[in-house]
Amino acid sequence: MKKTNFQDISDLAAQLMGKGTLVAPVKEVAGFNFREISDAKQVDLNFYNTLMSPKSAFFPHTEDFVRYDKNKFVLDAQCVELNLKPVFLFGVRPCDAKSFEIMDIHFSGTGAVDPYWKKRREATTIFGYAFDPNTPADGADFYSTLNIGAADPEGSDIFMMKKGDELLLQAVTPKGETLLSSLSSLVDASKDDEKYFDDTIAAGHSFKTRFTCVDEKVIAKKLEDIFLKTEFWEKISDACLSCGACTFVCPTCYCFDICDETLFSKGVRRRVWDACMFTDFTLEASGHNPRTKVYQRLRQKICHKYSFHVRKYGVISCVGCGRCTRNCPVNIDIFSIVDQALKE
Amino acid sequence: MSINFKQIEDKLKTEAKKLLEGGKVSIVLAYGKGYDEKHPMPYVARKMSDVENMVFNEFCTANMARYLVRYPRGTKIAIAVKPADSRAVIQLIQEEKIKREDLVILGIPVYGMKNFKTGETIDSKTTCGRYNPVIYDTLLGEEVHGQPVVSPYDVLAEYEKMDKDARWAFWKKELDRCIRCYACRKACPMCYCDPCFIDQNKPKWGEKSPESHGNLMYHLTRFHHLAGRCVDCGECSRACPVDIPLYLFHKKVAKECEEMFGQAAGMKIEDKPALVNFRVDDSDKILE
Repeated sequence: MKKTNFQDISDLAAQLMGKGTLVAPVKEVAGFNFREISDAKQVDLNFYNTLMSPKSAFFPHTEDFVRYDKNKFVLDAQCVELNLKPVFLFGVRPCDAKSFEIMDIHFSGTGAVDPYWKKRREATTIFGYAFDPNTPADGADFYSTLNIGAADPEGSDIFMMKKGDELLLQAVTPKGETLLSSLSSLVDASKDDEKYFDDTIAAGHSFKTRFTCVDEKVIAKKLEDIFLKTEFWEKISDACLSCGACTFVCPTCYCFDICDETLFSKGVRRRVWDACMFTDFTLEASGHNPRTKVYQRLRQKICHKYSFHVRKYGVISCVGCGRCTRNCPVNIDIFSIVDQALKE
Repeated sequence: MSINFKQIEDKLKTEAKKLLEGGKVSIVLAYGKGYDEKHPMPYVARKMSDVENMVFNEFCTANMARYLVRYPRGTKIAIAVKPADSRAVIQLIQEEKIKREDLVILGIPVYGMKNFKTGETIDSKTTCGRYNPVIYDTLLGEEVHGQPVVSPYDVLAEYEKMDKDARWAFWKKELDRCIRCYACRKACPMCYCDPCFIDQNKPKWGEKSPESHGNLMYHLTRFHHLAGRCVDCGECSRACPVDIPLYLFHKKVAKECEEMFGQAAGMKIEDKPALVNFRVDDSDKILE
């Protein structure tokens, strides 16, 4: 285990920048966000959690696949190749680190491998960062309900924790081990630090956010049972505006659209995030739309995350980070809906 | 005098019960419990038993007029409106999206509302700065008098000092942050187009990816589609997850419209929307 002074984080950041690309939390107008760091001083770990999830490090909002010129022959189109330096994703909260494993199922785990996701994933070392034991939750999140600890190193390569004025760093994977031993700005941690580290992880597991744990199979079954209970779904979607704020900030929403975007003759075929809450998400070429009503779309979102996903892959597609609740313009709380469904 | 939110809530419940019981309306659009006290939600009461879940406190900022167009024409609806929301109702009536006779308007005179995301008090900076609903059938509470009269356009002072280039740079910078979640248009009571121009792809008006030109296309077009129609409720700015100050543009356009056509959006049912109505004596300022 290694450590560094909290105020010397910029030294650590500078060292990581020398080894590759550093993506870390930066304070912006509306809150913190993960950004590529150009100045080591920008890195700011005094955050609760970021506004947007760190999924964009592997699955950017826009990803170019092919560039073409309309006036040229089709075979002259150029595939966009990814040439990545090592990437360091710094300061990922435990629930978000868990989200990458869920996303892996879709981008590489089911046989169809997304080369862009895979390359980015392989190039990246994840620095997990435990929630501050003094402020482990802000009222919107519910990660412990989904069995994720406030200081859960799972999913990280290196796990970090704040201890007073110091930042402790512990390697979790061999990849993390190699990197950690090469960082000269860090000093060795003491026995006390190691004890604190283990104690905090244990304490993180006993910390409880709102809602009690319910077996995912029970939730999945219940949602399946009430799928056709339109009255229930209409009631819970009365407030929903059907905007895409919840899906865009979500760490486990992975839907996208492939678009051709052209300016004069130059074009690019790209992948852009899409959201199941948009009316045109399910609009078919014939003009038919199977999900025209708000309740149908919200039902799809809830059932996909907590029911279909469990049935198909065995896990809930949600990590309880609370971003959707925090950013909903009308305060819809996703797990309150599940909670109500269980009482139906 | 300060606003007695509890009293308004009680009156809201009494009125809602009365209306539902008498069968005068089939739904009541108001506010209900959220996941905690500081996060109430828009709420639709259909049955008498639903009324108990209603709340009204300083965090009930949502503009319920947004939901009016969701129900089939002819549905009898009771709606709780704050000052700016009442203007949205009038504007929707002017635009023939709803009929006055289908509505029971429960007016709420109010000030000192709070943004549930930041906890900040909402004033004329992001809203129309009125204290009393412009139209109502029943007033829940007492009319507010004696509060300072403020212009909703005061906040534009800094913005108006910028020249053309500075404004362009300002909006490019602000709109570059847009993530295209469309919370602004979905929270807007006047954004009822189906489909919205930006969702069309034959022809395609703007790119889907959240980059400069697509963002500018979407927002600038939306700003202008709301010219003379925006009631300045500020919901778009509050809905925005990345805090883009959309209200600045809307207020600026509203101010210009008001100066040019002598009419603010959603003030009188008899008015026609400024940009729909042709009058011989209309201002030609725009051509000069």
